[in-house]
Amino acid sequence: MAKTATSTESSVKENIYPYYLPGKIPDNLVERFLEAFATVLQFTDYRQLLDTYCATSAKCNRCSVACPVYLASGDPRDIPCYRTNLLLEVYKRYFTISGWFKSRLSSRFDLTEEIVNEMAVAFYRCTACRRCTMECPLGIEHSLLTRLGRYILSLIGISSKALQVSVDEQLEGETHNTSKIPKVALLDTLEFLTEELEESFGIKMEYPVDQYDREFVFFAAVSDYLMEPETLMGNAAVIYAAGDWDKWTIGTGNYDGINYGLFYSDWYLENIVKQLVSEVDRLRGKKILIGECGHASRSAHDFVPIFLKQDAYPVINCMEYALDCLEKGKIKLNSDIITERVTYHDPCNIARSGWIVDQPRKILKSFVKDFVEMEPHGINNYCCGGGGGLVSIDEIHDFRMDIGGKVKAEQIRQTGAEILISPCANCKKQLKELVEHYELPCKVMGLHDLILKAIEIPGGKSPQERKEEAALYEM
Amino acid sequence: MAIFEWEEVAIEVDEDGFMQEPDEWSERVALALASTEGVEELTDEHWHLVHYLREYYQKFGIAPMIRKLCKESGFPLKKVYELFPSGPAKGACKVAGLAKPTGCV
Repeated sequence: MAKTATSTESSVKENIYPYYLPGKIPDNLVERFLEAFATVLQFTDYRQLLDTYCATSAKCNRCSVACPVYLASGDPRDIPCYRTNLLLEVYKRYFTISGWFKSRLSSRFDLTEEIVNEMAVAFYRCTACRRCTMECPLGIEHSLLTRLGRYILSLIGISSKALQVSVDEQLEGETHNTSKIPKVALLDTLEFLTEELEESFGIKMEYPVDQYDREFVFFAAVSDYLMEPETLMGNAAVIYAAGDWDKWTIGTGNYDGINYGLFYSDWYLENIVKQLVSEVDRLRGKKILIGECGHASRSAHDFVPIFLKQDAYPVINCMEYALDCLEKGKIKLNSDIITERVTYHDPCNIARSGWIVDQPRKILKSFVKDFVEMEPHGINNYCCGGGGGLVSIDEIHDFRMDIGGKVKAEQIRQTGAEILISPCANCKKQLKELVEHYELPCKVMGLHDLILKAIEIPGGKSPQERKEEAALYEM
Repeated sequence: MAIFEWEEVAIEVDEDGFMQEPDEWSERVALALASTEGVEELTDEHWHLVHYLREYYQKFGIAPMIRKLCKESGFPLKKVYELFPSGPAKGACKVAGLAKPTGCV
């Protein structure tokens, strides 16, 4: 069993997994790190950002009160300013003229193998949730430095194997998706979901596949096709009920919205975004519809306009679409079905910027009688503890439970909720593990899982009928 | 890559003990892999699940959606966890010789 790295003393060379890819670690770590850093500076515009951050970073440590990792660990090395400074020091010393002069006069800082090791551990203890940025008086986005640090490290072979094998499959593998789901398996799964929907509603809703000229091309986090039937059935039920069934399609060339590049590599981020867009091109779609996944939504929403032309394709999250349907009266949710107390977890990647905060709440409050908020919530929410790709790294499970998700677990407990809504594949996985670890008396579900229970489809079985049938089935 | 040996079985496995070459799977291999999962003995119910997964994998190249597994095997998820304490993906699929699931699974 691989050990969880909790101390910076452990070297990436000894503490092999999960921090580097076997067989690729260089001997001359320091030299290679600086080469990789120089390359990134040459081909990107990070220099401007780093110059600004070097000038403004006051190390005031106000971010410490915002960081759920530091709040749980109490280790000063987890303070965002401290972590960011690891990289800024290297930049100042080796890539600025003043730093070079200072090093001539007094050798006050030299990069060592230990510091590279420290960065490898530190950057993978950050969940990139960006909560620290809300507190920073100078607006430093520490998570961007986490990504830059991880990016440079990945260029010399230090990254997480879990992330790397997924990205390799997505860009170079046969299936082009992170969970290696072949097209035949996707089709079989869609057929299965169609049968499930028919059993539940008495209506045949065949998922549209490879249809051209549709308004929406749909990308779920591909893991949903293995793990989250009710989320995908909820997506379908909303579209069907809204009368938009002939307006969407799933493409078999690429059906994965996941983009781990957002977590550790700008190069992968760009190429995965481009791959997604090329599927929309192929199908001559008009808009990109992303399923319940925070980082998939953000990576498409924020980076399609950056890596392609500004007006390439609008990116819509499925909750925006569902609210639009609700407000236009295209769908109806029965408010007598959900009697349990419900709370909502904001996925950082869509909530921190303020993009998706109100939409799910408006939907929930329209049909849930007992809705309670966590405190704080919305743009100030706490991360589930598995953000920034950490949830995919099994080897740091203990860190995610005992430190990363500790604050979140307490927040959930205080709501007394029986249902915890989390519209994100990453958060769902982490929260399910947290609920088990902390023995929280609630069930983790997607927003569309809940909608699926309460939606009324004309000509189909009523929510009440479905609820009774489901109860029989459970017995 | 590590070689895992158990009685006369010797197979290539990854860091987590999943098979590297799923085509080399046999019932003896299943027994060997089960021993790493704290499953002492494979009962008829274990075999039922393992064979279902194996057949699905051979046809579709991956494990089925978890709900489909439960529905078609007739075992509720709780039962799957009783049979394989590490769960369907990391327990049952491992014994059936599938590779470690990747991505957000």
